[in-house]
Amino acid sequence: MSYFSNISNAITTLVDGMKVTMGYFVRPREHVTLQYPDEVWPIPTRNIGVGEIESYNTIRSKLVVDFEDCIGCKACERACPVDCIDIETFKAGPDEDIGTTKNDTKIKLRVTSFTIDMSECMFCDLCTHPCPEDCIHMTPDYQFISNDNVKLEVTPEERWRDRDHLIYQFSKVTPIERAQRKAEAEKVAAAKAAAMEAKKAAAAKAAAAKAEQEAQEAARAQDTTAAQSENGADPAPRITETPVMPSDPALINISTPESTPEPEAVERIEVPLENITSPVIPEEQPASSEVNEEAETSIEPEDSSTEERGETENG
Amino acid sequence: MIQLLANWILSFDVLSGIGFSVAWGLSLFIVAALIFAFVAVNAIVLVYIERKVSAFMQVRLGPMRVGKFGTLQTVADALKLLQKEDIIPLLADKVLFVVGPWVILIASVATFAAIPFSDTLLAADMNVGLFYIVSISSIVVLGIVMAGWASNNKWSLYGAMRSAAQMISYEIPVGITLIAVVAVVGSLNLQAIIQEQAGTGNLFHWIPIPLPNWFIFHSPFLFIAAFVYLIGATAEINRTPFDIPESESELVAGFMTEFSGLRWALFFLSEYANATLVALLVSIVFLGGWQSPFADYEGAQIGFSVITLVAIMWTLFVRAKTGRLSVYPLGLSLILTMAVWLFPGFAIWMASPGIFWMLIKAGSIIFMLMWFRWTFPRLRVDQLMYVSWKVILPLSLINLMGVAVWMWLTGEIQF
Repeated sequence: MSYFSNISNAITTLVDGMKVTMGYFVRPREHVTLQYPDEVWPIPTRNIGVGEIESYNTIRSKLVVDFEDCIGCKACERACPVDCIDIETFKAGPDEDIGTTKNDTKIKLRVTSFTIDMSECMFCDLCTHPCPEDCIHMTPDYQFISNDNVKLEVTPEERWRDRDHLIYQFSKVTPIERAQRKAEAEKVAAAKAAAMEAKKAAAAKAAAAKAEQEAQEAARAQDTTAAQSENGADPAPRITETPVMPSDPALINISTPESTPEPEAVERIEVPLENITSPVIPEEQPASSEVNEEAETSIEPEDSSTEERGETENG
Repeated sequence: MIQLLANWILSFDVLSGIGFSVAWGLSLFIVAALIFAFVAVNAIVLVYIERKVSAFMQVRLGPMRVGKFGTLQTVADALKLLQKEDIIPLLADKVLFVVGPWVILIASVATFAAIPFSDTLLAADMNVGLFYIVSISSIVVLGIVMAGWASNNKWSLYGAMRSAAQMISYEIPVGITLIAVVAVVGSLNLQAIIQEQAGTGNLFHWIPIPLPNWFIFHSPFLFIAAFVYLIGATAEINRTPFDIPESESELVAGFMTEFSGLRWALFFLSEYANATLVALLVSIVFLGGWQSPFADYEGAQIGFSVITLVAIMWTLFVRAKTGRLSVYPLGLSLILTMAVWLFPGFAIWMASPGIFWMLIKAGSIIFMLMWFRWTFPRLRVDQLMYVSWKVILPLSLINLMGVAVWMWLTGEIQF
């Protein structure tokens, strides 16, 4: 009688199944889905011998900058292997007091923009160690979701990523103030450019007169014109030797923070302007070797971060 | 109830001039609106409970985010459904597509007209109440076939065909099972059926265990008939394990595939209205409807004491078997027992019939349907037909004859 045994088998197995589900129904629910925003797993900590556990966590996550302590030295930007840090600085005026850091270092550069693109960051921690003021550090905060829709000005190349919320802006400078700083820098640069123009015109005039004089002398001496003109044009032989190639801006700019601001800045600002006005023949111009290096940096298109470039663009 | 409502309306001075027929029509409308409101709220609550029950049976938490413990989740879902775009497929039969869900909903809601929630709280006390409910609820299959055909979709059509075959198959054992009860009572009136189950008596008439006079304890045949009816009704309302008309794994959503927004919400509404109707009908026909399980207030005291004893034994059993201490059943029954012994008014209220008992019984049956749904795997089409025609139908026929013989043996009827 398989018919009745089938029926009794069905009934017993169904009752067995119902027992199982009722057991789960009345059982206290211990291992269930984590209600994520309300409860989170504890972050594992492990002392790896450097500092305290709290301050040196093995989880390296969101980068945070104590912006009050930032002196705009760009050491972190240079250290970053993936170029996710972008800093824009403007030189403070001679009588401007921006403040001091927690180490009593006087801040000389006004940082108008300090962005970290956390969508590119690879959490290598290399940027935190070069910082002279210990103001950039990694936090164990791994939750990158936020409600504040911070719309940053991103370049068209960055816009395709559609991850604006992962580009963190640490500078509290408003866009209006940033534009003002830019305008001021432009004004200063324009004034210097005008001065340089005058100086250059005078120099060119003198050079032309000298060349003419030398040419006359050469004609008189019946020598080769090329040798004559090379001797007379410029005292710096390095210009012709220096290859015009995209050099690392970071290497060139290493001396930037330490350099004394006022007199050298005048020198540096002049030359890129000159370079822009006549970029084809840098050898013709009377320029020092340092000037030429600066010109090279300003030629490079990727060099978005250097202080000089901001000023040259403005000029 | 409509008579009472009309008289109540006419009792106001302002409204006394409108005439009895207008008041009658007005109270008809009010009762219909009340029934529809009950069905809608019931569906919202039941969807939430079902999601929670299924989650607990699967070691999940269910909805947790909207409101405290997700209590407002289904309200939010309903609001979302109301706002959704009303999509009618391009090649669908537009008239049938629009009418189908409404036919199903009307058939589901109209059955509630005959359901007695208490001795006075019912819309229409008709002497063919059971027949009315069975016949009106089978109109649902018409709406399902309309919706499935109008969708112009192979899944929808398959679902509709399966649904039609299944519902027609299970109508027969369900009807015969109900006839067995009608044979005991001698009336199709639901109030008469409920009043027949008042008081307490022996289990199966001879076994000396005092139990309520419910028909599930009337005879072994009606005891089986109750479960037969529950199985058949589960199939009739297309719930798991008999949900082949809308089996998600085979047909996308069966006859509901092409529906969205409000129309889909109507399907859902009618689904839960049908589940509630089945639960109410089981509690009316087999569990005594709005009758209290206790004959009088002493009965309530003794009954709750027995329940507490059972709870203590259950707690000890669980403690011995799993090592856990389940305090909730014991605590609840202890509190109720103390209340019953300390406050005679509470005991009297527990022993008196009312809508409370109706809802308690229907709620436990609905929980049982949910329990079925989240435990059993779905039957195949041929298995479904096998169960219907070869198992349930013979069983119901045997029950019908057995009940007749039982009543002759116990002397309830004489020839």
